[in-house]
Amino acid sequence: MWRWLVEGAGIAVELSLLVRALRVRLVPRYYFFYTYITSVMIGSAILMTILLRMPALYQKWYWPLQLATLVTGYGILLEILNHVLAPYPGAERFARISGLVAFGAILCFAMIAPRVIPQLSPGTVIEFERDLRSVQALFIFGLLALIFYYGIPIGKNMKGMVFGYGLYIFTILVSLALRSFAGASFTTIWSVVQPMTFDVSLVIWLVALWSYCPNPVPSPTIHLEEDYEALVTRTKSVIGHIRTYLGKAARA
Amino acid sequence: MIQLIFFLSIGALLFASLFFLARRNSRPEGSSGALIEARQALVALQAGLLPAELVHRIFANEDWEFVRSEAPAKVRELFMEERKKVALLWVEQVRTQIRSLRRFHRGSARSYARLNPRLEMELALSFAWLMSACRLLQLVVYVGGPYAAPRMVGAMANAASRACKISEQSLAFLNAAQLGILSSGSTGQAAS
Repeated sequence: MWRWLVEGAGIAVELSLLVRALRVRLVPRYYFFYTYITSVMIGSAILMTILLRMPALYQKWYWPLQLATLVTGYGILLEILNHVLAPYPGAERFARISGLVAFGAILCFAMIAPRVIPQLSPGTVIEFERDLRSVQALFIFGLLALIFYYGIPIGKNMKGMVFGYGLYIFTILVSLALRSFAGASFTTIWSVVQPMTFDVSLVIWLVALWSYCPNPVPSPTIHLEEDYEALVTRTKSVIGHIRTYLGKAARA
Repeated sequence: MIQLIFFLSIGALLFASLFFLARRNSRPEGSSGALIEARQALVALQAGLLPAELVHRIFANEDWEFVRSEAPAKVRELFMEERKKVALLWVEQVRTQIRSLRRFHRGSARSYARLNPRLEMELALSFAWLMSACRLLQLVVYVGGPYAAPRMVGAMANAASRACKISEQSLAFLNAAQLGILSSGSTGQAAS
């Protein structure tokens, strides 16, 4: 009963998210994010139907659908790259390189692992998902480190998107690691914690994406390119000055 | 068990970054105001806050040798106290300079498409090391006096010099167009 309630609430919030996005025209702005939400909603609906009519097939369908949403979840990271880092080509380049490496790792895992290990037992699938989630977790961490380091501003929509997804990834990663370590005894807790955390993330997204809040961009009044060149000339001169002075200090 | 610790550590890293995201000030750090502030700091540096002669004087042992041999104990004590204050102030000023340079670098480099990630990481580490060295030197001077770590002053100065060099390399490409203009200008001048 409890499980049905959590899963049903999740689908209801997903539907609300999509309806609200259509009303305030957020879908074209955050295309990858809403593709992810749609894929999750369709996946949840399929799984609920299977659980109701053919419970024996649930395990068989669960993991492929979970992996499909894991890949579409990468869209959220693409949204962050597109919206938060786009005005900062330097930081974006940095993030794209690390993002491509992470995405390559996900694809390699998803395509090569089933061929190498055709008889994937539920245990190994758990470990497989845990590994993929850790790649995503590392990528979000790297992205946030970059945002903090370069002092890049982040708007309400994007902050909610990152926070909601990050929270979900954190919980699922910890749950999967514990489940992989503790074995089947952790399954009961895990089957409750995972959908509940996702519901929390959905609520965060619903609040953060209630209306469109564009991401803050650097002030257009400042002629960055011109100012920057002047600044570089000055800084070079300052660097030369500091170097000379420090060289003398070192010899003193 | 090691595997569990490893994945839990990744989770902890993610959680910590989310925590900082939630607590983060919404004020855009890279605003034009911040850039102007950084620029002012650079102008202050350029004006020559710390001339080389001053550094030589602050850490010159011969001053202390002279006072120790010529002056009474009370004067010696006063000299040491004053010199310590000056040394601490000097380290603080160097720290402020490094911080200004770092802030300027971050604010500018993020907007440049040809940013070199390897250089950026190298620079971030150099800045972090330098800031820690400044703090440590402050502590050493505070505890042991201005003449407690002459080698450390040298090491810190060398590290600062290295960071400046990397920073210069990292930012060199930004001025490529301007350098081209300058070089063509000088060629033109030479021709005329």
